[in-house]
Amino acid sequence: MKQVLKKVLASLVCLICIQTTILASSHREAPLISNDPLADNTDLYAFRSPCDSSKIVLIANYIPFEHPAGGPNWYTFGENIRYEIRVDNNISTAGDDIIYRFTFTQVNEDPTTFFNIRLGKENLKTTYMLEKSNNGGASFSAVITNGVVPPPNIGPRSIENPVVGLGASSYDALITSAIATASSGEKVFCGPADDPFFVDLGGAFDVGGFRKTGRDGVAKFNCHSICIEVPISSLQKDGKTTAMASSILDPEFVIGVYASASRREISTLSADGAADMVSGDWIQVSRLGMPLTNEAVIALANKDKWNATKPANDLQFASYFTNPELALYMDDSQFGGAVPGLSQLRIQSNSLGAFDFRNGKKGLFDLKGTAAVAGTALDDAIFGTILLPDNHSPRAVDLLPIFYTGVPNLSPYQLATGKPTGNPLAAGKPFINNFLPTLGDYLRLNMAVPVTDRNDPKFSTLGIVGAAVLGLTDPTYTNINLQFIPNMDGFPNGRRLEDDVTTIELQAVSGVALAAIGLWYDDYVVGGSPVTPQLLNVLTFNAGVTQNDTTFKPCFPYVQTPWRGFVGNQYVGPKSVDPLPVNWLDFTANKSGNKVQLRFKVSETVDNKYFNIEHSLDGTSFAKIGTVDARPGTTSTYIYNDHNPSLQGINYYRIKQVDKDGSFSYSVIRSVSFAGSAKNYISPNPAKDFINAYSSDDNTRVTVYDATGKRMSVNSTSKGSVRIDMSKLPNGIYNVVFEKNGIKTGVQKVVKQ
Amino acid sequence: MRRKILHKGGKLFTLLLVLLYHGGVNASSHREAPLISRDPLADNTDVYAFRSPDDDKTITIIANYIPFESPEGGPNYYTFGTGIRYEIHIKNRANTTGDDITYRFTFSQANEDPSTFFNIRLGKQNLKTTYTCEKSTNGGQTFTTILTNGIVPPPNIGPRSIENATVGLGTTYTALRNSAILKASSGEKVFCGPADDPFFVDLAGAFDVGNFRPEGNMTNAPKDGLARFNVHSIALKIKISALQKDGKAVQAAKSILDADYVIGVWASASRQKIRTITTTGEKNYSGDWVQVSRLGMPLTNEAVIPVGMKDKWNSLTPYSSNDLQFADYFSNPELGLYMDDSKFGAAVPSLNALRIQAASLGSFDFRNGRPGLFPLKGNAALAGTALDDAIFGTILLPNDHSPRAVDLLPIFYTGVPNLIPYQLATGKNGNPLAAGKPFINNFLPTLGDMLRLNMAVPITPRNHPKFSSLGIVSAAVLGLTDTLYNKTTALQAIPNMDGFPNGRRLEDDVTTIELQAVSGVALAAIGLWYDDYHPNTSPSPVTDMLKNVLTFTAGPTKNDTTFQPQFPFVQLPWRGYDYTQQPRF
Repeated sequence: MKQVLKKVLASLVCLICIQTTILASSHREAPLISNDPLADNTDLYAFRSPCDSSKIVLIANYIPFEHPAGGPNWYTFGENIRYEIRVDNNISTAGDDIIYRFTFTQVNEDPTTFFNIRLGKENLKTTYMLEKSNNGGASFSAVITNGVVPPPNIGPRSIENPVVGLGASSYDALITSAIATASSGEKVFCGPADDPFFVDLGGAFDVGGFRKTGRDGVAKFNCHSICIEVPISSLQKDGKTTAMASSILDPEFVIGVYASASRREISTLSADGAADMVSGDWIQVSRLGMPLTNEAVIALANKDKWNATKPANDLQFASYFTNPELALYMDDSQFGGAVPGLSQLRIQSNSLGAFDFRNGKKGLFDLKGTAAVAGTALDDAIFGTILLPDNHSPRAVDLLPIFYTGVPNLSPYQLATGKPTGNPLAAGKPFINNFLPTLGDYLRLNMAVPVTDRNDPKFSTLGIVGAAVLGLTDPTYTNINLQFIPNMDGFPNGRRLEDDVTTIELQAVSGVALAAIGLWYDDYVVGGSPVTPQLLNVLTFNAGVTQNDTTFKPCFPYVQTPWRGFVGNQYVGPKSVDPLPVNWLDFTANKSGNKVQLRFKVSETVDNKYFNIEHSLDGTSFAKIGTVDARPGTTSTYIYNDHNPSLQGINYYRIKQVDKDGSFSYSVIRSVSFAGSAKNYISPNPAKDFINAYSSDDNTRVTVYDATGKRMSVNSTSKGSVRIDMSKLPNGIYNVVFEKNGIKTGVQKVVKQ
Repeated sequence: MRRKILHKGGKLFTLLLVLLYHGGVNASSHREAPLISRDPLADNTDVYAFRSPDDDKTITIIANYIPFESPEGGPNYYTFGTGIRYEIHIKNRANTTGDDITYRFTFSQANEDPSTFFNIRLGKQNLKTTYTCEKSTNGGQTFTTILTNGIVPPPNIGPRSIENATVGLGTTYTALRNSAILKASSGEKVFCGPADDPFFVDLAGAFDVGNFRPEGNMTNAPKDGLARFNVHSIALKIKISALQKDGKAVQAAKSILDADYVIGVWASASRQKIRTITTTGEKNYSGDWVQVSRLGMPLTNEAVIPVGMKDKWNSLTPYSSNDLQFADYFSNPELGLYMDDSKFGAAVPSLNALRIQAASLGSFDFRNGRPGLFPLKGNAALAGTALDDAIFGTILLPNDHSPRAVDLLPIFYTGVPNLIPYQLATGKNGNPLAAGKPFINNFLPTLGDMLRLNMAVPITPRNHPKFSSLGIVSAAVLGLTDTLYNKTTALQAIPNMDGFPNGRRLEDDVTTIELQAVSGVALAAIGLWYDDYHPNTSPSPVTDMLKNVLTFTAGPTKNDTTFQPQFPFVQLPWRGYDYTQQPRF
């Protein structure tokens, strides 16, 4: 092991467990990219699939803060952008080993409307091509062409309605049909999704105003996800499956992942609103490996540069990890007193009576070159000077390696479990190995680590912190053997959708990883329990929001259906009285004994031939009951008597006017009811909490008005009745109006008491 | 088939036009066109122009940019972009070729402490934004700097960033706002900074193929899709005498509808043609300036112009007859299809209340593709009216299939003159071509989309019992039905004559007004009543159909917060840390 490492790395190093920094993944995290939302890479996830443990899931999200109702031009992937997910699985090759490159194309199926979707047509309809490189980008092959991006989840009329919309059976059906299989075997999905990230943006960025009950600043926003589910054997550098792993921490199964977006160097606006012309080299404008790096580790001065830089050139930013800004706010000698939201988090200043990890302090530097570190990761002879570079870069032993190299399964990076009291440099219990020392920011995952079932009672959103706590305290695991501890497959060993990376990174900045390996907090007394009040403060801290605002899907693509813009029932407006066509001047229907007398008046009857009298019991299907011939003249009044109306239900009438040339028009519909109050009724009356309104007609609209005529509720009968909540209405008299097809069929008074 | 018509003696035969309000529909202009939806910093969302309620000798013009600003959208909160020209354009003469007055704003940013990832820390502010305002009074040929180093207040992040004296700025947000209200060397008051987005609309409802949810309905409450979002406002308060073409004060106006007091306003954003990004994380701009966003009348590019033309619309000025290529979107508006049972009316049940006149006065059909008033063309009854080709040319009655060229088109493209038939039906005795009661004159016939305001019209106090967010629609209703106003054809100051589309107040519910206008409410106001009015038999022209139109609302009818009583009127931006939340969809 040591020899191998020595060979591979020559020098370097690493670190530990958890990690570092802080807050809001990477939504609008740098000035330039905040002005280019389509190319803004917000999050990256990599985890072993809980649905199929032979596979790894990679998810890269783009476009922050997508308003679910953000029409008429809903968000979608941009054209002229290369969206890429890059995987490094081999430290001995230069650059990335596998590259997935997505490019998108849009068409308008109906440019004559301002709606995004109308009459089965979709505008800004987006498709994609996926290309894959297995040689570091030297060449690419198309593995998916014409992949479908589902439309925005606008609402029921746009998605399900078969007349005005797409007529889909559901939005999820569109997701399912958009899942493609690449010719190289991967399952792929590109489309809108609930933004799975969660963070108290309002608290975090108010100069660290963290609070117990934070507000998820990305709640109810969507993003655009690129999801890949790929066999582990396709990612492992030698094509091995996990069955061939030497252990659950086999170093040969570590991958490093980052995602990016690139644009062409030159973009030229057209003067007539045509699409921009683009030319020149492709320039990386956004990238993301570990969450929150550019959000809360890199200072403003370098955020744009960070986005433009490849991970291979990350050493220039190392001091942001070795002396992180966030640590200033957990250090009472700096600004600790000014950030009460982080008061639970204090960094070790006197761990084991000797070691100070606050910014600018020595950390473990005093151990450098001592016999105690010989043979450990801290031995310069083995790892070089990365971990102990000087006497003022204390977090080069923990935060830096978490972000830049991954953490090897080597002393001191093993749990304190099994280590002699006060000797963190001794061998302890293994719990992580995602060591891939590329010296750049990647999300690193050891694919051999088993999946923690999402229903496991020990499943924890604290990822490796959760595993460390179990390994230190749970009798099932408090031995020095390598065991699978739940959540060893969690952040920062990869990143699951559930992982609360904001909390984990804040805990890491406050030194929780150091504590896990035996560099206890200042209040530890030799011989006492290492689970001191300070450690408990750290472990019970959270950043204010600990889970997503909705669930995840149990299987691919895991991210949840995007929030729908329009939620709830469709409002149906009051039908205007159907207009009388040009020559319909008047039409009435009145009871006359047990018959109905129809009177209608028309003007201009030159071309008029005859009138059909039509009757209906439901207001929609009409049958002819008689004919009246037209009379010459400019204005005529006609009378027709229906001698056999229904005495129970409602009688609907309309007149069909037919011209000599066969063209025709209809009158408005009139109605007559003989049934009176028997047709519609209400009980109980007087009422207290509710009424049931009954009608002999289905789909009767039942509207409740107060005594002043103010509309209190609108309801519709189903199977003859509807229950109407009256509990919130003040006591008094209400009018309940029954309407069918816009025609008033009855009014009842009801007393609420 | 039959038809022939209406009679009523020679009087009408003829008819008219329209009036008042206007055209399209729904969400002002937030992400309204594909290209600009990807460039939020340059996205002009709304323009307002109204006589200032706190100083009636002045006009306030507000142009908003950057839609959907999450109040807690850190760490890089929203601000005006560098490399963008934000401009407000004003016309006060129809016979000049370009702007008569132009205000140009350009912004710069500085980081006071680039060593932190916070926007504000320890009294220092990053992305701190300042601006220069230049003014041109010769159509943009030359500009004079009237304000330098203007301050844009920081984002309203939270109490620690703003109020806290140790970690933050140690002030109040109101103080920051007030200190950013500046005076230009040419006399204008100026404010540039974040504010509550004053617009309100049920985005989810409007754009789900017209799934509107009126205010007060018990089926499904409307949701203000812009609630609790901020925008960036550019606000100007300008003396009327500085806007009136001859430098006259408002007291010199001949009447409250003096035609010489009409201005047209629009706003834009422009970027340089060539953008170059570097491998070190920089962006550079060069080349000519290209207009990428513009807005005059609300919602034009949101819901009148179709997808295929939206980007082009944004690239053009409303001058040089550029806008005439889009005229058919007003004379046969897409929204008209959804209020017409012979088209898609039945497929959009949320708009049931809105039906366009298909047989007004028994004969006039204003549905898309129908003749409208074209049968009257050349009729002697039109002589001397706005519909007389000899006077106004063929814009209003171009052919037999552009029915809304008489109402929607002039509302957007020329303004409405105080001329027959564009007067209220009050006093017309059933003949829409007779003289009626004046209620609007914002006629400035440049043939392009601008927000037109007659500055001589008095202010309706915001606490007036008859103040209405329905603007001119409400003035029309009062002029037709209120006994204070409907007894005479005399010109009177009717409340809300200073409302949209005569300018636009922050309170105006332009979405509802425009939907009502598409359904023909302006036609009705001047006496082209709805189909269910039968002159011989109907007791009143205020029929069920008209009532349905007047009681329709498109969703929320007011903003999700108040406005300030004085300049800049827009409310303070929502504070990221603890703004009260409200569902947006």
